Amino acid sequence: MNIAVEFAVVMFKVVWSFVLAGTKWIVRTREKSVVGQVCLITGAGSGLGRLFAKEFARRGASLVLWDINRQGNEETADMVRDIYREITSKREIIGGIQDVPFQPQVYTFVCDVSKRENVYCTAEKVRAEVGNIDFLINNAGVVSGHHLLECPDELIERTMKVNCHAHFWTTKAFLPKMLEQNHGHIVTIASSLGLFTTAGVEDYCASKFGAIGFHESLSHELRASEKDGIKMTLVCPFLVDTGMFKGCKIRKEMAPFFPPLKPEDCVTQAMRAILTDQQMVCTPRAMYAVTFMKTILPFDAIVCMYRFIGADKCMYPFLDHCKESMNNNETKIGS
Amino acid sequence: MNFLLETLQLIVLSIYYNVEAIIKFCIPSKKKNVTGEIVLITGAGSGIGRLIALEFARMDVALVLWDISEEGMKETTRLSKERGASRIHYYLCDCSDKTEVYRVAEQVKREVGDISILINNAGIVTGKKFMDAPDHLIEKTIEVNTMSHFWTNKAFLPAMVKNNHGHLVTISSSAGLIGVNGLADYCASKFAAIGFAESVALELIATGKDGVKTTIVCPYFINTGMFDGCSTKWPTLLPILDPNYVAKKVVEAILTDQTYLMLPKSMYLLMALKSFLPHKQSVILGMYLGAFNFMDTFQGRQKKRI
Repeated sequence: MNIAVEFAVVMFKVVWSFVLAGTKWIVRTREKSVVGQVCLITGAGSGLGRLFAKEFARRGASLVLWDINRQGNEETADMVRDIYREITSKREIIGGIQDVPFQPQVYTFVCDVSKRENVYCTAEKVRAEVGNIDFLINNAGVVSGHHLLECPDELIERTMKVNCHAHFWTTKAFLPKMLEQNHGHIVTIASSLGLFTTAGVEDYCASKFGAIGFHESLSHELRASEKDGIKMTLVCPFLVDTGMFKGCKIRKEMAPFFPPLKPEDCVTQAMRAILTDQQMVCTPRAMYAVTFMKTILPFDAIVCMYRFIGADKCMYPFLDHCKESMNNNETKIGS
Repeated sequence: MNFLLETLQLIVLSIYYNVEAIIKFCIPSKKKNVTGEIVLITGAGSGIGRLIALEFARMDVALVLWDISEEGMKETTRLSKERGASRIHYYLCDCSDKTEVYRVAEQVKREVGDISILINNAGIVTGKKFMDAPDHLIEKTIEVNTMSHFWTNKAFLPAMVKNNHGHLVTISSSAGLIGVNGLADYCASKFAAIGFAESVALELIATGKDGVKTTIVCPYFINTGMFDGCSTKWPTLLPILDPNYVAKKVVEAILTDQTYLMLPKSMYLLMALKSFLPHKQSVILGMYLGAFNFMDTFQGRQKKRI
């Protein structure tokens, strides 16, 4: 097509999409229902994974929980069962006989997502015991907690394998069925450290950038294959107060502007994005500004800003804390 | 320091850096002298790696070439000598193999000296749709394009840090800034390479090692054979780049301590738009630029170098 004509069409679409985005601010989009659907969450034994499990449980979805930590996983499952019991008893109190008789279930599997064969094996078990997955939440994440030059190679590899490679394998395991049915939703829990970086967490930044690159590329691939029933959402939370980055802090005067997120708030916002088929969500919203500025400001100016916010060394107290724990023989690997 | 004073400092410095950037855009910067430096280039047996070596061959530096193809490196050596390179060494090294990287790095340090300019250039692409790509090739892509950077950095950065002098160069890609249909593993690897390089850069700055510079290069696609068959939709806006042009620009960026280099220049605008526009918008932009169909006619190198 003639470049000028196509350009005019694109300009029209630009204006229209701004209008649509604007209306979303005013008119609340309806959240889709997940009752009776099956949601798989990696890293469900703690942190955000656990909170996502509870949120999906509250909305009547069945859950498949994966974690390397059996105990944590079972604890999450117990919490989910409590929520199911609550929902069922509420339903009985209201006396809704016409309600969906579906009784959601929770299934737990111990799985080390850094090992490709483990993922495929566990996925087979899930297919056999549970059936098809409707939601895939790639949430499992680790950080080495060492400066690059002090970091053992195995820990760097581990961070990459859990935070990035694992997404490849879970997608390969579950996407084929989603494609067949043209129905599904893949959620990538990345991080704001996948959009911009800081000192001291080189392995984590590399892995989160990689996860985002994969997510973006895959979403384009799905769009090109016209499987519009499969949705993808990218979640980039700023520092969430789950203990994973314990000790990390920015300059105290700026702390009110960039507080570490309460995990519940992060998950609430993420759930809203997932259930309204939003492609990407940054929490808090201020992160969008940071990523935008990163593309227009010269690097030196960005460094200047980071120094000012105290973001350049924000991970140092966390890394010191890790070193201390290592010296006290605690294992700091794992979320 | 007082919060208000520091805020003022931030505003003043930000304005200064922006003005400086605009000026640098118009007036060419002074190039640093690299006489006596030891430059290591991975993937120097062909493509951009070779051309960067040839650019450095004209300067009074020692060149260390790494590649998995001995033939390729012999040719690069021959061409470099023609251009005046007097100190040039090559080593067979699969930089995706951590043990090999460390072993050859030790050899280089013994035989040549400490590397002061490290150019992580080696890269591969599988060019298959994600679901059709074999797992071992996906892993290999990440190993060569991303993880090799971890190992080379670990091998050569300590000396640079000790001397507070050096330059880390990462040849990434525009596919490290924007996801492309048909390049899921490649994009993941190139995004990760950028994240890693930037994080290292920030760590160096935070620890006061301002003598160690970083350059991250994100070219659009280059016609070296790696992406043979691919076509660009609007060649005026986003041309497939000429490799000689890219090599020249890369070396220029190194010599002027430029941190981010995007080629062609229209990439800067596209990146700004991408981070600003609502998501559906950037998709429309992508369609307009043919990003979704770029890989449809991919053939790649005829000789698979995996």
